[in-house]
This record gives sequence, structure tokens and C-alpha cells, in this order.
Amino acid sequence: MGSALENYVNQVRTLSAAGSYRELADELPESLSLLVRNWSILDNVLETLDMQQHTLGVLYVLLGKLHSAATANPEPVQIIQLMREFVQRSNVEQLRFAVCPFYETCHLFTDFLVQKNLSILGIKVLSRAIEQIRQMDTQLTPIHADLCQLSLKAKNFNLILPYLDTDITDISTVAAECKNQQQQQPQHTLDANNDAKYFLLYYYYGGMIFTAIKNYERALYFFEVCITTPAMAMSHIMLEAYKKFLMVSLIVEGKISYIPKNAQVIGRFMKPLANYYHDLVNVYENSSSEELRIIILKYSEAFTRDNNMGLAKQVATSLYKRNIQRLTKTFLTLSLSDVASRVQLPSAVEAERYILNMIKSGEIFASINQKDGMVLFKDDPEQYNLPDMFLNVQTNITQVLDLVKQINKMEEEIILNPMYVKKALGSQDEDLASQHPKTYSGDPTD
Amino acid sequence: MQQDKYSDTLSKLENEELENISPGAEIYQQLMAIYLYQNKLANAKLLWMRISNNLKEQNKELAQLNLLNLALQHNSYADFFKHIKYDWSETNKLIIDDLLVKQREELLNLTATAYVSIYEENLMEMAQLTSDELKNACLDWTREQDGDKQILLPKVKEITPRIASDDQLLKLTEFVSFLEN
Repeated sequence: MGSALENYVNQVRTLSAAGSYRELADELPESLSLLVRNWSILDNVLETLDMQQHTLGVLYVLLGKLHSAATANPEPVQIIQLMREFVQRSNVEQLRFAVCPFYETCHLFTDFLVQKNLSILGIKVLSRAIEQIRQMDTQLTPIHADLCQLSLKAKNFNLILPYLDTDITDISTVAAECKNQQQQQPQHTLDANNDAKYFLLYYYYGGMIFTAIKNYERALYFFEVCITTPAMAMSHIMLEAYKKFLMVSLIVEGKISYIPKNAQVIGRFMKPLANYYHDLVNVYENSSSEELRIIILKYSEAFTRDNNMGLAKQVATSLYKRNIQRLTKTFLTLSLSDVASRVQLPSAVEAERYILNMIKSGEIFASINQKDGMVLFKDDPEQYNLPDMFLNVQTNITQVLDLVKQINKMEEEIILNPMYVKKALGSQDEDLASQHPKTYSGDPTD
Repeated sequence: MQQDKYSDTLSKLENEELENISPGAEIYQQLMAIYLYQNKLANAKLLWMRISNNLKEQNKELAQLNLLNLALQHNSYADFFKHIKYDWSETNKLIIDDLLVKQREELLNLTATAYVSIYEENLMEMAQLTSDELKNACLDWTREQDGDKQILLPKVKEITPRIASDDQLLKLTEFVSFLEN
């Protein structure tokens, strides 16, 4: 046994020294089972390898270690320390030859941490891993989903938020990476099937994170991306995202937010499975808080099962607010007890509390007169004449311009893509070809 | 990102939290206090959720901070000002004092915009101030007698418009010259 591992070390050393990383990356996957079998002496192997020089060799040892974690039951601190060191010191050029195993290592590492309940310690490691492997700031990697999962588990979003805030323009997938490297390894086909999974998970988890910090607009966008991903069959990730999408869109817009027509999966598979949620939407549209309360109570078991009970409560609160907002459109002044009875709040004091909170958060503009118990609804006092507003407009314009530039750039890339040109020209040729006989056969005089 | 005097400390603390297996109560306390000061209530809530249970039970100060957090989340000013009267430890005292000043100012500003008239006793209850303290805090508000109760007519503070910075002027000039061409 020992000699086989010695062979492994020798192979890594010779090929790394010769700089034939491609060859090494092609051969190493075969040794993986060997490494997993010998989990007890992997630490000795690590001692003989240098993270910087033999990045690929170390990567596979790590992979072996994580694969055997169930049987070996290693000290979590040691694994975390190893990973931390690895993402800091590994050689990116060598890693490029083994992107897929690197992703796999990160996935396994994530599972390991989640199992051991130490998610918070992996956040920095994975964030560093993303920095290292992604080719540009706007690229989405499968590791993003892992980072989201760890952040959610650890309930710590400080590091993940900057990633979620960048707009994605490119996606790194296992399938594409394998194609790039002309690798035909059977073990990666399984992983390639997971590309969609990690993409969906990223948007699902991202939506959950934004919901947790009450940035509902952004959450809605993330859920929308998740449910409108072109698909032939429904993923359960999409179904859960759809349920949350319905609730968040009630909070944001008060109705089901617009869903692009191309998402047929929704109508066919998801709607029948999300009955409770559609009932909720229908009741919400009647704007009766009392009925809404009853229906939430009625379905509370289902909501709790889906872990959506908290969100359901937010929906209920949002209806009170929406109803108060609606009052501002009809009335100039109204007594607090009238407000309470119209939006079905228990008392005038409660209504005053709601109104005060809404004034504070800028959702309505009003002033309360405690002397005679009246509320005065006012218009938005924004005059659009302050420097702050100017700055606001300015940043928005810059954002839009940047977006236009980005779209133009991407369009240019597509137009210059040989595949696209071939296809576009090909279909034109076909059109011409099919038109010719038609004109002739359609001419009776001929 | 809003910048203030605690931003640096905050990022340092956040980093420390991510690297320790079980960060001490000190870190959590300071983090919590700063989140509250910066009005990042979602962060404060999540922070509380990730603190281990026995730390929550053992550390009184942490629990007290969470009471403040809950009060702010429920927009309950009375509770907030009640719970903030506590014997804070040295490290947190400065932050908490700032928080108190900030929240009191916010409350008075909010009252000024949201109320045409408010009974003095209600405001005293919300701000947990005595009648005299309240008088000092809002000197220019008009007072009226309504039966045996004092009623306050708040005065909206004039917003002093920010003077446009050089940067903005530059952008405006660019814009004008673009329009002219």
C-alpha cells in the first residue's frame, strides 16, 4: 500500500517539476480511489508535498480526505485549517487545470461543515476560494451556492452580500470547464448534471438571504430568476422558490408580480403544487385582513412545514400597511378610530402605532393630531430640488448607462461568435433554398 | 455604506467573529451595540440568533442589549428608553451613550414630523423623560392647556439644504456642456 502512495507522490513531483500540469491533471483522477482507501496516512503524504509547487497533488489529497470524512471522522479544526491554508497558498495557474475537482472539494467541504455545525468558519475560506478561481468579478461559480448555504446556516451575511449585489454576466459550469480542457472523464458527468442545481440554489439561497434582511425587491428578483430558468421539468428548488416568490411579491406589490411568458413550467407543474399559496394570494387581493388571518391560521400547518410561517406573518402585516396606504388616496383627514375599523385593527392606539411606524419608514406622509384624534394625510413633500435628489438621479443614470454598455458588449460578443454567424447564415440559406422551389411551383404559367 | 466613527471597529470585529471558533461575549456585545447604533436591525437580529444559547443565559449584558434590539425592532420607544437605563460595562458605555443621544434625537424629529399635537404625558412615556427634561429637549415647541392636560404642538425642524459639492458641480457642468453641443 505504502508504495502505491509513494508512486503518487513521485508522479506529482516529477510532473509538477516538469511543468506538465495538463498531463498531471489528466492522470490524477485515477489515483483518487487509492487516496480514499489510504485515508489514515494522508497526512504523511501532505508533508511531502508543497501547496505552492504541488497544488494539484495537494488538491487531490484534500479531495480524498473529504471523501473519506465519513469513515475517517477527522478533526474538523484540522480540515478547516488545511482548507484555509490551501486557498491562501495554492497556485492559481495549476488550479486552472483542475477546476472541476476544485469545485467538488468546495462542495464536500461545505457539506462537511454543515454536518459539523461549524458553518461560520467556512465563510472566509470559500470567499477566498471564489476570489481565486473566478475569472472576473461578475462570474458566477458553483462555489457561490456553497457560500450562500454556509452564510444562511451561520446566519452571517456580511461577506456574502457584496457577491449577491454584483450582477452576474458569466457562469462558470463544470460542463463548460470539462469541454475547455477536452476532458472526457466519466466521473465528471455526474457533476455536470449538477450545474443547474448549483445555479438554482444560488438564486434560491440568495433570495432567502435578501428576505432575511428585508430587502424584498432584490429577493423578488432572485426568486424570479430561479423560477424563470428555462426548464423542461420542474426542480424542487424551483417549487420552493415559487412559493416564496408568491409571498414576497405580495409584500412588495400586493399581487403576483409579472412572470415572463416563457416559463411554462410554472403553469404546468408548480401551480398545482402550490395551492395553499394561491389561496393566500386570492384572499390577499380582497384586502380583508380578517379573512387573511383566518386563512393563514387554516394553512398554518402547511406553512410551518415549508418553513414559511414567518414570511406569512410578514404578509399579514403588509396587508395592514397596504390598506392604510390605500386610505391616504381617498381621504384627507380621518379619525384614528375610523382608520382602525377600516383596516380591521383592534384599536385606535394600534392604528396610531402603525401610522407612526409608516411615517418613520417613509411609506406614507401624514401627521397625527392627538388633541382631536385625527390623522391628516399629506402628499409626498419631495420637491426634487435638493442636491441629494440630484445625486440620486445621477447615480441611477450612471447605473443605467453602465448596463447599456454591458448589453452592447455582450451583443457584440454574440454577433462575432462563429457559431452564431454560421447558424444565422445557415438559416438564411435555408430560407432562400426553401423559397426558390415555392416561387416556381407557385407560378401557373411555367 | 454609511460611514461613521464605528465603521472601522465594526469591520475588525466582524473579521474576528469569522475566524474564531467560539468568539467571546465581548465581541458579541460590541458588535450588537454598533449594529444598534448604525440602525442595522436585521444584522442585530441575526447576530442574536447565532449566539450560542449558554452565552445568552450567562451574559446579562448581552441579554440587556437584546432587549434594546427587540424594542427597536418593534418600534417601541418606551421600552427602549426603559431598558437603556442599565449599568453598562466600560467598553460598551461609549457606544450606548451615542445610541441614546441618537435615538432621542430621532424620536423628537419623528414626533415633530408625525404629530400636529401630542399630549405631553404620552411623549414623556415614549421618551421616558421627566416633564422638565422634555421641556429642555424641545424648547421651541408651543404648549397649550387642554383641560388638565398639557398638549404640545411640535415644530418641524428646518432642513438645512446641503451645499452642492465640487464633484456635483463638475457633473452638472459636464451635463450642461453636453446639452449645449
